[in-house]
Amino acid sequence: MSQSEDKVSENSAEKKQPRQPGENEQGNGSSGPILLLFIVGLVISLIIGWVIFPKLLYSQKKQPIDFNHELHNQEVDEGCISCHFFREDGSFAGVPKNEQCAGCHEEVLGESTDEAILVEEYIAKDKEIPWLIYSKQPDCVFFSHAAHVKMAEMGCKTCHGPIGKSTSLKMYEENRISGYSRDIWGKNISGIKKNEWDRMKMNDCAACHKEAASAKASASKRSPQLFFDLLAMVFPDAGKPQKTEACFVCHK
Amino acid sequence: MGKHEKPKKYGMVINLDMCTGCGACMVACMAENNVPFKEDESDKLLSITWLRVYKLSNGKKFPDADICYLPRPCQHCGGKGDHGHSPCVSVCPATATDYSHETGIVSQIYTRCFGCRYCMAACPYHARYFNWWDPVWPKGMEKYLSPNVSPRMRGVVEKCSFCFHRYQLAMNKAYLEGRRELEEDEYQTACTQACPANAITFGDLSNPKHKVYELKKDPNAFRLLERLGTNPKVYYVSSREWVRRAGDNYLQHEETVKLN
Amino acid sequence: MKIDRRSFLSFIIGGAAGTTLSPLPWKLMDDMSIWTQMWPWTPVPENGEVSYANSTCTLCPGGCGISVRLIDDRPVKIEGTEGHPVNDGGLCVMGLSGLQLLYGQSRVKGPMKRVGKRGEKNWEQISWDEAISMVAEKLDELRSDGESHTLSCISGSDQGTVPELFKRFLDAYGSVNFTRMPSIDDSYELVLKLMHGVEASAGFDVENTDFLLSFSSGILEGWGSPVRMFSANGSWKKSGGKVVQIDSRLSNTAAKADHWIPINPGNEVVLALGLAHVIIKDSLYNKEFITNYSYNFENWKRVVLNEYSPESVEKVTGINKTIIRALAKDFAGAKKPLAICGKGQGKNPGSTSEFMAVHALNALVGSINTDGGVWAVDNDKQNYIQWPDVKKDSVAESGAQRDRIDGAGTENYPYTRYLPNRFIENINSSNESLVKLLFVHGANPYYTLPDTHNVRKAFEKIPFIVSFSSYMDETALNADLILPNHAYLERYEDVPRTRSFNRPIIGLSKPIIEPQYNTRHSGDVIITKEKKMGGSIAAALSWENYEQCLQETLGDKWETLNENGFWVDETFKVPGWKNAFKTPTLKCDFSYNELFSLPHFCILGIKGDDPSYPLALIPYDSMRLANGFIGDPPFVIKTVEDTVLKGKDMFVDINPDTAKKYGLVEGSKVILKTPNGELKVRVHLFEGIFQNLVAAPRGLGHTGYDKYISGKGANVNELIGTFEDPASGHDAAWGIAAQLIKV
Repeated sequence: MSQSEDKVSENSAEKKQPRQPGENEQGNGSSGPILLLFIVGLVISLIIGWVIFPKLLYSQKKQPIDFNHELHNQEVDEGCISCHFFREDGSFAGVPKNEQCAGCHEEVLGESTDEAILVEEYIAKDKEIPWLIYSKQPDCVFFSHAAHVKMAEMGCKTCHGPIGKSTSLKMYEENRISGYSRDIWGKNISGIKKNEWDRMKMNDCAACHKEAASAKASASKRSPQLFFDLLAMVFPDAGKPQKTEACFVCHK
Repeated sequence: MGKHEKPKKYGMVINLDMCTGCGACMVACMAENNVPFKEDESDKLLSITWLRVYKLSNGKKFPDADICYLPRPCQHCGGKGDHGHSPCVSVCPATATDYSHETGIVSQIYTRCFGCRYCMAACPYHARYFNWWDPVWPKGMEKYLSPNVSPRMRGVVEKCSFCFHRYQLAMNKAYLEGRRELEEDEYQTACTQACPANAITFGDLSNPKHKVYELKKDPNAFRLLERLGTNPKVYYVSSREWVRRAGDNYLQHEETVKLN
Repeated sequence: MKIDRRSFLSFIIGGAAGTTLSPLPWKLMDDMSIWTQMWPWTPVPENGEVSYANSTCTLCPGGCGISVRLIDDRPVKIEGTEGHPVNDGGLCVMGLSGLQLLYGQSRVKGPMKRVGKRGEKNWEQISWDEAISMVAEKLDELRSDGESHTLSCISGSDQGTVPELFKRFLDAYGSVNFTRMPSIDDSYELVLKLMHGVEASAGFDVENTDFLLSFSSGILEGWGSPVRMFSANGSWKKSGGKVVQIDSRLSNTAAKADHWIPINPGNEVVLALGLAHVIIKDSLYNKEFITNYSYNFENWKRVVLNEYSPESVEKVTGINKTIIRALAKDFAGAKKPLAICGKGQGKNPGSTSEFMAVHALNALVGSINTDGGVWAVDNDKQNYIQWPDVKKDSVAESGAQRDRIDGAGTENYPYTRYLPNRFIENINSSNESLVKLLFVHGANPYYTLPDTHNVRKAFEKIPFIVSFSSYMDETALNADLILPNHAYLERYEDVPRTRSFNRPIIGLSKPIIEPQYNTRHSGDVIITKEKKMGGSIAAALSWENYEQCLQETLGDKWETLNENGFWVDETFKVPGWKNAFKTPTLKCDFSYNELFSLPHFCILGIKGDDPSYPLALIPYDSMRLANGFIGDPPFVIKTVEDTVLKGKDMFVDINPDTAKKYGLVEGSKVILKTPNGELKVRVHLFEGIFQNLVAAPRGLGHTGYDKYISGKGANVNELIGTFEDPASGHDAAWGIAAQLIKV
């Protein structure tokens, strides 16, 4: 490419003006702005991509009530599942309904304004709180909490992080294009995660499942996940010949 | 973990002598699986019915004429040796349809499908349907949509899933109770459940405790287009020879064969 | 610094490199793909806790138990109730798509007053107060003019608290003109009255029969309680029970039966008597029953032996005499044989002679009140509505003295209870205005009564029509005022007596969901209306509201009903023969009196002997085409085959030989003409039908409801007339003379 470019520039130079000595100098002289502009372009686009784009991509939404997980965690006996429980049919209840909150908060107990909002705006009016759910998955996803929490005995933290220790709810950042929470893609716009719970995409399910499957086999490397890992998303027990499990396991 | 479960082979045995052609299975399926509808559904090539009841006739003249109804869900072909080479799975360029070795069910992921319709061409049973339009639920009707099956959009193929979401939900319950195995009645499809004639039996074809295990061995059992080697998981039982013969394309001189 | 082309390019390349190294393109692509997979206009159904609520389906008289699956408070699916005595988990197409009716576009969203002409679909929404005042005013006006008897009510049923409230209202108001929509219940009730001397409904122990002989009854087309019949049919296949279907068309029932015996339509009664002939002659009848429990048998026997030999029956029915002999022997030889009648779904009462002949056949083999036979289920045993008698004022007294408009219960039709066909007929033939105010509840006579032309004319003569329909059906469309009832999943209602069920049973329909629109329970409307009218009418009903009325009436059954959705009399046993007959002789009467003695057994022809109508048109029923007071919801119309409906065209079945005669091929457009009218249809060539017969589906050609059913095909009732049974006055038409004109 550079060869042909040179050719073109030579030709054009020939047409415009006769060859002059010092053309090397000229070349040297123009390389300054060329390189500079390259760097300027590079830097601007990097700033746009890494700083401005993420800001534009997500809209900031405040939760209707600022909930203190740590405080409540101290009050209950069974940790997370005291409020985020399993129903008898094996389904996971997810975010609690008013009914549960009302168990204690029929009347205002403390002095926080958030509690007052809860009691007056929601419980008294029998209106459900429109929580914004950080871990909400698309409609096509079926996730079995029972399989992971009960069968595989995984802790909530593995996917949800130390949210139980938080004293305040963070800002809900909604992706303006896809409509899902930033937590699904990960706090880091690059998608690189520091913690297991930083991202909740299909790749992350696949990574963990693959690791679990090859745990017995010596090398369990966490290399960056290729797309085809998804297809190799194996069932925990499908041991010897690595048969792929159909997409229906996690989709509906 | 590490405990090995025997892979299941879910399938159906449909007794065509008992089937009355009432259509309850079709409607139960539509209601269960958020199947859309439109103003004119009389063009059957464009009408999405995961399970369609076909009307067969013996072609004889009055009064020897006879008709028989044949409900046709997705046949969940396992291919030769149940290796999962179903006609549709083999051709899908997007891995939107896939064979589960765990359950023997052919899955269809709508969000993955880009609508090339190779699978429709490949399926010898016409069990697959294409969404030529975005589904529209008249105002208010979207309220009855079930959260267990995600509604489809224009440009994707859909088909019977053996109500896989019911398996998912049943497994949830089993997990909660510390089990990995399901009882026969814990996972039944909507059509099986609704059939007023009890013509449909559903279960694990490889589990001797399930009713289908014995039923499929009926001397009058047959499968559709068996000689193609698609190895479908839906068995039909009919005491009428002409019906069994209608299950495959026979040349005039050929005798009805029994493969399974 | 000069920015030349090279530096510009360099800038762009730098920018491209930077962009590639930033998450922008990758993230954007990912988000876009997610967006395209989840279009914002594709609905995402809300998830929540799953629960089930038990209720009873009231879309037909079948009385199936339904379990409605709810996600939090939102019903998402209707399923059959496991373990229910009628349907045990199964459900039909209509029942399964009930939510489409609940949320559908054809719901009437509030009380409406007609503006403009009838049927023009010009309505004005009014308040409930205004609507009820309107009716109350009309009622006051009629009553003060001494015309209380001109108030009439057409109801889908005459059982249960709501129809009883209507009846009671008419009683207290001073009118005897409460009419029920026609069905085979009319004929079976009459037969049991005449032959057993009891007020009872007919129950069939179908689960235990081992030989079912069906005279054109569509046991797989919706006869009796459809789901129960399907499940019984399945159990016969397993247990080896035999089904023989007498039918002039290869219906689903005929196709599934062990034997289909085609018959010239309308001659079922002759065949029944022909079979009786063989059974008597070969002495195959049940001696114990005939000797001890029958009366008038000898007279009956004489006529049967003289006139109905297999040879003469063959001539009329077209059935070979050897088949008749064999069938009679098989029937009599079975352990628990059962013969049933009532064509198709049994929408039409049919001829008394036919019902009596078939019942006599059951009597001959002793299949009455026995395992696997016909049971007379006493009305007393299932009547839980024990309300005090109405105290009538003078107007009500004088109204009660009048004869019914339809003539039921009068000299001509002494034992007949309701005659909607004559009701229409008499309105039309009278010079006076016989009905000045009409209530229609749970029925759609404008569409479902045969001879639509006459019904239309009669409606035109009625100055004020009030519809209580939840849906914009044809009757509501042509009413003056609509007082919409809650839909069946929004209201309480008792559903007594499942059709053809052999034990006393009560179902309870329960509100599964809050009313979706500004509707009101018809029971409440009646109670408030009476309150408004005051005096003896208000006194007739002292309940606060309908729910209180229902709870009080059901008494100790209320709790069971609320919990399970049904109550069944577990103590009810096979009635047996002893003390079963309440006729003057206390025996089963083979020919009760002069009126019903054998010379009156006549074969009912069909209207018109005109040679220009060489064909006969018969309507046929299908499970996939609802033809009761509710039309097909979208899911059900989806199941209709393209040989029945294509686009807007309806197909009629004809034999290919008939088609050849008329130069028709599959799909040809024709005009189907009868003395009653003509319709444009297309033909479907079907080998399963007699030559010279045309079969048209019931349940198409709606003008009401929503676009998913309206305007598709044609209503066969437009072409079919009524044919009065001389003995009972019931409509006994099974078809009509017809012709096909190629277009």
